[in-house]
Amino acid sequence: MSIHLVTNDSEKCEKALEGLYEVYDPEIGLNVVDLGLIYQLEFLEEEKELNAAMTLTTQFCPMGDSIQSNVTQSLTHAFPEWRINVELTFDPPWDYTKISPEGREFLGQ
Amino acid sequence: MFGPGIGGAMQQTTNYRVVLPFYLYASIFFLIGAGLLLLHTDVTETHYFNPYTLAITHTMALGWGTMIIFGASHQLLPVMIEGKLSSDTLAYLTFGFAAIGIPILIYGFYIFHTGWVLQIGAILVNLAIIFYLINVFRSSFRSKTRNIHSWFVLTATLWLFTTTFYGLLLVFNFSESILPKDSVSYLSIHAHIGIIGWFLLMVMGVGSRLIPMFLISKYTNDKNLWMIFGLVNGGLISFLLFRILGLTTSSYYLSVMLILVGVILFGLHCKKAYDVRIRKSVDEQMKTSLLSVLQMLLPILALVIILAFLPSGKHQNIALLYGFCIFFGWITAIILGMTFKTLPFIVWNKVYHKKAYKGKTPAPKELFSEKIYHAMLIAYLFGFLVFIVGVIILNNYLLKAGAVGLVIASVLYVANTFKTFLHQPKKL
Repeated sequence: MSIHLVTNDSEKCEKALEGLYEVYDPEIGLNVVDLGLIYQLEFLEEEKELNAAMTLTTQFCPMGDSIQSNVTQSLTHAFPEWRINVELTFDPPWDYTKISPEGREFLGQ
Repeated sequence: MFGPGIGGAMQQTTNYRVVLPFYLYASIFFLIGAGLLLLHTDVTETHYFNPYTLAITHTMALGWGTMIIFGASHQLLPVMIEGKLSSDTLAYLTFGFAAIGIPILIYGFYIFHTGWVLQIGAILVNLAIIFYLINVFRSSFRSKTRNIHSWFVLTATLWLFTTTFYGLLLVFNFSESILPKDSVSYLSIHAHIGIIGWFLLMVMGVGSRLIPMFLISKYTNDKNLWMIFGLVNGGLISFLLFRILGLTTSSYYLSVMLILVGVILFGLHCKKAYDVRIRKSVDEQMKTSLLSVLQMLLPILALVIILAFLPSGKHQNIALLYGFCIFFGWITAIILGMTFKTLPFIVWNKVYHKKAYKGKTPAPKELFSEKIYHAMLIAYLFGFLVFIVGVIILNNYLLKAGAVGLVIASVLYVANTFKTFLHQPKKL
């Protein structure tokens, strides 16, 4: 798992990740953080804006809408006062090296 | 650090309303196909050109195989072509025309009404396929990329259109001589464009994308897939040329060899993807789909035997065995596996689309019954194997027992499909 965190506020990051650990890729059964789908969390304190960059295991994944929507809702739930933007990117594309050690263990590696 | 995003807007996968009718419709036709087989097991002793064989074949090829591929491909086309489905309306038109045309066509074959009944059925089916063709091509050409998987899909769709249009000509040729010979003479061309051009290419194109995706495999080899694409198309085109030129049956061995090499390479491709998978546990549905890859070899074996006996006109039952291994074997097995790999996700997306963050929702695999699935597989494998033995030794008891196994499998399949479809959201 290598998330690019643009903040010094570790408390906020933990709060965001706590919710994201509950968002699962329904096919694989693994959460989006350990699966390596979350690329970036950027907290803009002054604007009260949280910009997240995420990907999917496959472009145009049939479950993509649902996963992206649930990431947005999870962050909105954690930071109700903030404006949440979840950007989908495929640059770089996801590959198996982005799975965390915990994720690999879950998959039986 | 990261490339340009594609915006906060959703990716817009295909609407479930477009896809689900195809699945439900196809499940009923699996039941009808198995039921007709049980009623008419005696077709194994006759020439393949008879009303009941034609009715059963078209039930399995169109009502079952093609309708479920239509459903799955409308859902998975975005993954294959890396672009959105062009039109929901065209997909509804495809369903509407096919849903009306297929039973009329099958009924026309069953009562062998070679006039307006078959003609109306064939026209409606052709219209459905034209709408599908337009939708697939428009979707693909609007996409920025064109990978090997989309070439499989585009080519398979063209072959589908070719064979259904050819079928339409054969239907009209029953009542008016529009072709040089009678329709029976052209049946093998019609059948093989459908089997090799439509089913085999489509299954290979979709399978080569989905199998590594579901296994989270590190293996990719586009060069190998291009070779498979060339071999299968080359095998089919050479067969068509040999038929048109009127060459002897021994020349068909070349076509069979090309396709056989393509199938073996595809099997090896799947095996390599399986061997280097990240996800170690493989569910029953994936195992069924992988089994179907092996089942591809059975019809080829039957075909070689046919070619050996065909000149003497002996052992008509082997010709039936060939068709049976394709429609009730390979195609059915891959559908049994892939239905419960794709349908639960479509329904899950419908029911739990925006609820997953609230806590752990049921996994898609919990939407259908694994017990029913397991029982269905046992009934299917029993029915399939016993029926094969029955065809080879021409024993009616075994044929009936095999067909009963397949009917039970189809009933369990329908039950599980509807259980998934009717899933109600659990309180979170």
